[in-house]
Amino acid sequence: MPVQAQTVVRHLHNVHPQELELLNQAVAEFEAANPGIKVELPFLENEAFKAKLTTLLQSADAPDVFHSWGGGVFYEQAAAGVLRPVEDVVTAAAKEATGTAGVSAFTAPDGHLYGLARDVGEVVLWYNKSLFEQAGVDPASMQTWEGFLAGVQAFKAAGITPLAVGAKDKWPAHFWWSKLVVRLAGKDGFEAAARGDGDGFAGEDFVKAGEYFLQLAALEPWQEGFLTASYGDASGYFGDGKAAMHLMGDWDYGVMKDNSASKQGIPDDQLGILPFPTIEGGKGDPTDTLGGLSGYLFSKNASDAAVKWVEYFNSAEVQSRFANAGFYIPIAKGAADNMTNPFKVQVAQNIGNAHWHALFFDQALGPNVGGVVNDISAELAANAMSAEEAAELIKEAVDDSCRS
Amino acid sequence: MGSMATGGSGTATVPRRQRYMDRKSLVPLLLFLPPTLVLFTLFVVLPMVDAATFSFFDWNGYGPITDFVGLKNYDDVITHRNFGTAVRNSLIVVAVSLLVQLPLAMWCAIALAERSVNINILRTLFFLPFMLAEVAAGLIWKFVYDGNYGLLPVVGDAIGVKMPFVLGDKLWVIPAIMLVITWKYFGFHMMIYIAGLQSIPSEVIEAARLDGVRRWQIVRHIKIPMIRSAIVISVFFAITGALQLFDLIIPLSNGGPSHSSHTIVTFLYQFGILRMKLGFGGAVSVLLFVACVIVALAYRRILFKVEQN
Repeated sequence: MPVQAQTVVRHLHNVHPQELELLNQAVAEFEAANPGIKVELPFLENEAFKAKLTTLLQSADAPDVFHSWGGGVFYEQAAAGVLRPVEDVVTAAAKEATGTAGVSAFTAPDGHLYGLARDVGEVVLWYNKSLFEQAGVDPASMQTWEGFLAGVQAFKAAGITPLAVGAKDKWPAHFWWSKLVVRLAGKDGFEAAARGDGDGFAGEDFVKAGEYFLQLAALEPWQEGFLTASYGDASGYFGDGKAAMHLMGDWDYGVMKDNSASKQGIPDDQLGILPFPTIEGGKGDPTDTLGGLSGYLFSKNASDAAVKWVEYFNSAEVQSRFANAGFYIPIAKGAADNMTNPFKVQVAQNIGNAHWHALFFDQALGPNVGGVVNDISAELAANAMSAEEAAELIKEAVDDSCRS
Repeated sequence: MGSMATGGSGTATVPRRQRYMDRKSLVPLLLFLPPTLVLFTLFVVLPMVDAATFSFFDWNGYGPITDFVGLKNYDDVITHRNFGTAVRNSLIVVAVSLLVQLPLAMWCAIALAERSVNINILRTLFFLPFMLAEVAAGLIWKFVYDGNYGLLPVVGDAIGVKMPFVLGDKLWVIPAIMLVITWKYFGFHMMIYIAGLQSIPSEVIEAARLDGVRRWQIVRHIKIPMIRSAIVISVFFAITGALQLFDLIIPLSNGGPSHSSHTIVTFLYQFGILRMKLGFGGAVSVLLFVACVIVALAYRRILFKVEQN
């Protein structure tokens, strides 16, 4: 038998073992249908993945396909020429399946398409119904910022930790600042500030976001030792039923279970999602959501086979398995239709109805400005910095990035 | 190190040179020197030159390096709001290494220099932390300090004291890290001292004893002066090691809370590498390199003076 020439596709992933099973299954099916292509699945843990990617992409070991959260980091990669434009390779059907939002998220400012969107996610206020009952707090009373602060105080009075946060990792704290900015500044305000227009992030709405954050921090709402808690620690703390609420992405549904002592987490009937409190006079639309729209990018040397593989992987048929197992909400049309998890269904609806789906600020703003946003958020959570100083620091970082 | 520079008199150098030239030493020289030289150049000298070059450019790690910014990166480093803290912390590590860790190591070494089975066990126990990988040691101590599930709150409960979350507390995080550093490295210095102490001829000590010299005086006037070269080496390791401290901090506190526990190197990693400002990182590394060179030169000079006296 003649030796068949094989194209190897290296797909760098950062997923958990259970999710990997489904990934392996998809690889096996794809390889069976395409005998000339072999898909390899090297792994890097999430934080290591972010730290190592820059070097990796410029080395001979660059993966062909890798996960991306889009935004500023992706734009820098595109500008540096380490990615492959794929608008002529991707089939119209695959583009169509991810919708206009999916295509635009992976189109760089140079107008080229460099990847395929895979999933959407939203940062929501998870809450524990039984703790609300115990403290006598009505979830409906939490819809405004004042009501929310009153509720936090009620939990404190009842001896229950109101909020879990993994402030050691910082990005969990930056969700608070981001959500406040989404409410106060809205889409136009945020985009103008990111461009460095006017006062930028030192503008009134952003100082206000810091002030609201400090109002909350002053109530000492977090679990003890929150500055030493990683995301996983905080997630487990909430999953163990020790905190009433956790502002976190929809993926926390599974992570909260994994990190809880019992591995069961909070049972579905005790778990709920609260809308983030609205703020009077805020410029944001009440339907605005914050979260991700992530997918896969193709590196410079990726073959057409790599695109073919991702198209297969991104098909509604394969993606529906990930949706049904509750790992994430696929963007591919039809893939999320049969999701049974009520929380994921709700999140999918929120995003579908959103006036603005804001991308994670630390990713959207790029590593430098995003890093500063994460820093000041952890400081504000610890009540260790003024709102003006926080706003000024972000503005400085933006000015620094705009100049270069 | 010192003896090479000071010991060679005019008459001694000629036969030494002849020795290098003869065939027996030439073969090992050609065999062993080039690999070391190549490795040293590839992995030490070139990256150093690279980092120094980056430091004059604005570069995010992607693509060619073209954006020359002069000394801006150095200015940014020196005026950075967390750089002062990082320098202060590195100096604290140096001070604790010299004033706590080395005396402790010396004390243990003097107590444990004799040869016996029990003493060997103790010695091994004290040396064990040094053999642990830094990251593993950091993770172990992170668990010890953990305020929810760690050892420290258990101890606190037993004695009826509410322990703080030390790694999340700006006041406690530095002492907590210093404890780990001392625990981790004093065994290494102890071993250096023990090796030195064991090379002291026993007749010297015996003679002193017969003359009625007290124990403390033996330590002060005989043992410590006789292991001077071991101390010289260990102080040098302690200082340069302290200035380069990185891998214990990352798992313990990651520089937090509020960037209060950065050392110069974790500062470099956080703000230079992770934020993808490699020019900025290059500037930090050049400053650190210069500091290390100054320390090394000053140290040699001081030793030279002491030797002359």
